[in-house]
Amino acid sequence: MSVATESARWPGTAQPEPRITEDWLSVWIGLAIFVLALGMLGGVDLLGWVVSTSVWIDPSLALGSVSRAYAQLGGAGALVVTYVALLAVLTAAAAALDLDVKRFAVAFTAVFALAYASWIIGSYAYVAAVTPAEQQKFGIGWSLKLTNEGGYVVALLAGLIIANFFPRLAEWLKEAIRPELYIKIAIVILGAFLAVTAAGRLTLATSLLLRGVAAIVEAYLIYWAVVYYIARKWFGFNREWAAPLASGISICGVSAAIAVGGAIRARPIVPVMVSSLVVIFAVVEVLILPFLAQTFLWQEPLVAGAWIGLAVKTDGAAVAGGGITESLILAKSAAEGIHYQPGWILGVTATVKIFIDIFIGIWAFVLGYIWTNHINPSPNKARVSEIWQRFPKFIIGFVLTFVGGLALALGTPTQISSKVPAAIGEANTFRVIFFILTFFSIGILSNFKKLWQEGVGKLAAVYLLSLFGFVIWVGLAISWLFFSGVKPPLAS
Amino acid sequence: MSEPDLREELKNAPAEPLLPIEKKLIGWSLGIGVVLLVVLLLVNHYFPVTL
Repeated sequence: MSVATESARWPGTAQPEPRITEDWLSVWIGLAIFVLALGMLGGVDLLGWVVSTSVWIDPSLALGSVSRAYAQLGGAGALVVTYVALLAVLTAAAAALDLDVKRFAVAFTAVFALAYASWIIGSYAYVAAVTPAEQQKFGIGWSLKLTNEGGYVVALLAGLIIANFFPRLAEWLKEAIRPELYIKIAIVILGAFLAVTAAGRLTLATSLLLRGVAAIVEAYLIYWAVVYYIARKWFGFNREWAAPLASGISICGVSAAIAVGGAIRARPIVPVMVSSLVVIFAVVEVLILPFLAQTFLWQEPLVAGAWIGLAVKTDGAAVAGGGITESLILAKSAAEGIHYQPGWILGVTATVKIFIDIFIGIWAFVLGYIWTNHINPSPNKARVSEIWQRFPKFIIGFVLTFVGGLALALGTPTQISSKVPAAIGEANTFRVIFFILTFFSIGILSNFKKLWQEGVGKLAAVYLLSLFGFVIWVGLAISWLFFSGVKPPLAS
Repeated sequence: MSEPDLREELKNAPAEPLLPIEKKLIGWSLGIGVVLLVVLLLVNHYFPVTL
């Protein structure tokens, strides 16, 4: 595969080069959802049937359509319609990716069922209810207080259990295990959601955006250099392993490892092994860091958001981890009587991650130039065109929905702009579903035993030392320096 | 490449000392990174977040 980031696939999902990449597909699918949601601005509710889950104690009240206009569907009906719509769209995507369509459809059915069941379990009041008022409302005396977004953790754990205890089932599901596709679609939709959030406080949003630049400097120039040095000098890795490893740990996990591996002309096995490791560590981080952030950083919500974006590698785990962090911190703050507007913590995480992603192609080219000209001179030299080839295209979708959402929220008459939040809210419900699918898929790809048997102990040691001894703490320090004292707006 | 090969490769890889170009890459990255962070901190200080 020549174009690394475009086809930045997760381990275990390698396929021959398709007609269109997951990256571009995510742009089209995300944009289609965004455009359909805008039907509401013209008085046509095209997506109101999508299923939404509320915190529940009575299972019959758990599900419902996101719009009252489709209330007659009922919860089960909304779930079935949502499944059928996603099956149709994603099966078409699978056909475009030259996958086995029949196998994909069957596997997706199981993936959707298991992932959404996890989400429903995560919304059970004993798991999700946060405040005493909520507990009282549901007539319960205790709860895990994970918020309904704790369902992401349940989906991740469900995936992990299947991967590690039922490997044959995991193998059977693998055709529909597409975390890169799911998270990129979610991020494209997220652009519109963040635009609506930012529209209310544009000056604050701009200030936060500018502070995201620090993340680029940190990831590429500080983290990479230190991790590369550690891998080469302390652990004795050769250059072919050290460069993708440093990129995976310090920049953006899977995409960066594959982009740099391709740029320095490493063998394909190298970035694939590094990617496997990135996924495993991202899982561990997502299970730990949001809860640490809730405990220690709840009074600095934006520091927490930036920290998750800098510490958790891979787009999927980071952005979804930002979602969990936001949910946990908003819940903790609410319990203390502070009600922040949702969207700002997740917005900072996504900004940090996307800013870092933008430069993957450039960094890969820089390393490719050095490698093919100075370290391993070869006729197959790095070309400038590789920068565009390795540019993560889903960012284009994110920018389009962000700019489009902002223009509609700020540049249209009140009778239209007042409908924008509800319209984007419907699209955002799809974003949540794609997050759930991402978490479940990441879990399925995390077979700890198999990875250990493949002999990645030494790679894992570098990762462990770099991540927990350096990346997390420097990320925290930088996040603190740039975001401390800045609070999200209060909910009106 | 089979799995045992990979384990053996990682275990027995011959040492590759850091080349001057790698040292330059590490040094310049860190140097530029630290300078840029200081600049950004100054910008952050003199142009604080506005609500």
